[in-house]
Amino acid sequence: MNKDMVQAILNKYGERAADTVFERSLYARDLAPVPAMLVNPLVKTLPDIVVRPANTEEVAEIMKMAFSQNISVTPRAGGSTVYFDSVPVDNGILMDLNLIKGVVSVDQAAMTVTVRAGTTWSELDEYLNPNGLAAKSFPSSAPAATIGGWFCMMGYGIGSMKYGSLLSQVRSIEVVSPEGNILKLSQGTNPGLDWYAASEGTLGVVTQLEVEVRKLNNMKHFLLQLPDPEKMLDTMQEVIDGGIVPYNMHFTDQECLKTMHAMGISPGNMDTGYLIGVDYEGSDEELQQAQVIIETMAGANRSLKLIPGETAELEWKEKFKAMKLKRGGPSVLGAEIWLPIINLPHYLGDVNKMARAYNLNLFSYGHVVTPEHATVMTTFYADETQTIKYIINLSLVKKIHDIGHRYGGHPYGVGLWNSPMVGRIHEPPKLNELRKRKQTVDSKGIMNPGKVYRPPLMLNPFNYALGMNVLAAVRKIFGKGW
Amino acid sequence: MSKESKSLYSTLEKEALICARCGYCRSDCPVYRVVGWESAAPRGKISMARELFAKKQAGEIPDEFVKRLSQCTLCGACANECSTDIDTRRLWLDLRRRIAALGKEPKAYDAIRDNLLANKNISTFDNDDRLEWAQDLDEPEQLEPRAGAEVAYFVGCVSSFFPQAAQIPLAVAEILTEAEVDFTTMGGDEWCCGFPLISTGFVEDSEEFIKHNALKIKELDIHTLITGCASCYHVWKHDSAKALAGYDLKVMHTTEYLAGLIKQGRIELNELDEVVTYHDPCDLGRNSGIYDAPREIIKSIPGVEFVELNHNRAASLCCGGGGNLQSVDPQIAAKITELRLEEIAATGATIVVSACQQCEQMLITAVQKAKLPVRVMDISQLLLEAMG
Repeated sequence: MNKDMVQAILNKYGERAADTVFERSLYARDLAPVPAMLVNPLVKTLPDIVVRPANTEEVAEIMKMAFSQNISVTPRAGGSTVYFDSVPVDNGILMDLNLIKGVVSVDQAAMTVTVRAGTTWSELDEYLNPNGLAAKSFPSSAPAATIGGWFCMMGYGIGSMKYGSLLSQVRSIEVVSPEGNILKLSQGTNPGLDWYAASEGTLGVVTQLEVEVRKLNNMKHFLLQLPDPEKMLDTMQEVIDGGIVPYNMHFTDQECLKTMHAMGISPGNMDTGYLIGVDYEGSDEELQQAQVIIETMAGANRSLKLIPGETAELEWKEKFKAMKLKRGGPSVLGAEIWLPIINLPHYLGDVNKMARAYNLNLFSYGHVVTPEHATVMTTFYADETQTIKYIINLSLVKKIHDIGHRYGGHPYGVGLWNSPMVGRIHEPPKLNELRKRKQTVDSKGIMNPGKVYRPPLMLNPFNYALGMNVLAAVRKIFGKGW
Repeated sequence: MSKESKSLYSTLEKEALICARCGYCRSDCPVYRVVGWESAAPRGKISMARELFAKKQAGEIPDEFVKRLSQCTLCGACANECSTDIDTRRLWLDLRRRIAALGKEPKAYDAIRDNLLANKNISTFDNDDRLEWAQDLDEPEQLEPRAGAEVAYFVGCVSSFFPQAAQIPLAVAEILTEAEVDFTTMGGDEWCCGFPLISTGFVEDSEEFIKHNALKIKELDIHTLITGCASCYHVWKHDSAKALAGYDLKVMHTTEYLAGLIKQGRIELNELDEVVTYHDPCDLGRNSGIYDAPREIIKSIPGVEFVELNHNRAASLCCGGGGNLQSVDPQIAAKITELRLEEIAATGATIVVSACQQCEQMLITAVQKAKLPVRVMDISQLLLEAMG
């Protein structure tokens, strides 16, 4: 990126632009601690400049400047993902969207809210709740994740079970194209909203969204303890088929429960079994029916233990604190997998086998986000200060993904690090369609390049599989005591 | 997952690695809200601390990092939000201590330290003049240190020396007198509580102050100490355990003590036709867990309509005056106060009360600048007004 353009942005945006290494370095990574030894030969993550536009017009202006000189632009807000989704791979401009924040309007009749993309989900609910409204669904990282960010990711989380994906709740978006044009898109436009959902900022910069909201209802929370994964699945199915759709259903496997217990943070101090948390929201009548459903299930099933309500309430209150497990680290590695729930017991069984094979504590938890699918997080502890061991341990992430793939699953989100597995995520026709969309909308390829569609050369599926498998073999032979 | 309330802090190195960089800490950080750069967000600063201290990958401590560390009010909002339960307030203090040990602290911190070591208080006045404010009382000599009193009132530097705050200790003294409490002060033997030294990283120097104050309290045979300063309270309550080991001292904030006097029927209150809101001081509320006593006092006054600020109790917004931020960047501190002022204005309150002299000074300045028709008062002043 030439110095004149850097200077032009500095001149234009003053204190809202920075080209010092000190400021830029903090945008050269996300949650994932990937050693520089691995990152630097592959991609150039340090942006040339970081700029913080305050409104859509400024976003458009920056895009026009970038487009005119073929400069890469990486949009970023919460920066709360782990696949380098919002980390540059080719220097360029990092666009920090956190100033594009706040509720524009609420339409009580249509039950929608128009909100700027950099607003976090917690901030949105903080605005809506006093007005008797609430977001239909939100990510389990709601205090940091933004409305625009989650739309550009997969958009499944808490509340999806009842209200569907975020895409299904979005009525319209405002997006700035790579050329710098401001577009208003809705379900009926071409391109439609589905082009931009899960596009990870590779097609444009979403600046505003009109999203459906729900009435803020009372809730009821239940925690169910089961002895094994099969009975956990049976119970999940029974809840799904119970007649009242839960707002949220999450689960914790036995290893995770044991790990939490060792840290003194397991619900009700439990250390055995498999836990399902079921959360209902709705009218008092619906909640009463839900209670009957759960209590009837517990009464009819001797292997199902209904945990006291206050523990279930506490579990709900702590719904954003899954990362507390990291205190057992210092680092955590893992894979998040979109998995058919019917295969959950097989998946967890193979994960346990893998744990034994590598002498590793693998623990899993997740959310059931549709009647058929769950997002499953399987993780293990590592130590990023031990660079070589840590890099070798990274290979086990692929091994977890292999188990998921074996049971019909695939990585949840692509970014950079899952791009070698993009062929597992999308069938060839779908992948071709996505690549065509990218070519149509961003022919110069300046919009968050290096993500979603194909891996960088060094990370092509063959190289990736070979490298990871060799490292995993090394780990298996030499790393059992790590 | 069950809630863990006690501090899990281990070492700076370990905690910096535990940080998940989730960014939950950003939204509620008053400094990040004003500055907007990732380097000003708690996760950004911890990220740099990780590289500098936990991974030891950079030799020199960048000046920008020192500047960002000093741009913090120590309000603890980040700790409240942290997904991995890092006691971030303690982490910031630890970092400032490390920076001071390396001699990289901001010059303004040196000035604070030099002044404290010379004067034993945060003003430039002689410490023997600690009771200057009491000259407006009918019998000021009664406040001279007296052994064996039921209660000692630890006045704090701001109330003792800053003319704008002089009405606060007067109000406390008048209320205690009216309630016939057997109380005294430490007079010129009261030194700064040590908080400004702790918060600038000069922890060893602070220990001398803490030890001195503890010794004088023991010499006076005092077993109940009250203070109206949230930071003094925090030091007495949380940082003085070693100096007070083996000695029976009950430490209370004035709000706790005064709420007790009301419950005991030792204070008579008249009707006040006011709408009152309460600003939780960070060191009293979020960092010490005292939320109810001040609210009980306000609600006990007949005729008062109490309204909560949008962010209250553990979610309260900082006033901008903590962490010595004013000494290094008064503009940021003032902008943070403006955020709080917006919430105060939205309540329609006629009076905003707090229980920390620093918060009150920040709010008074901002209210005057904004010409907001709101009176800023310490809770003791409100109580005295209600006593007629």
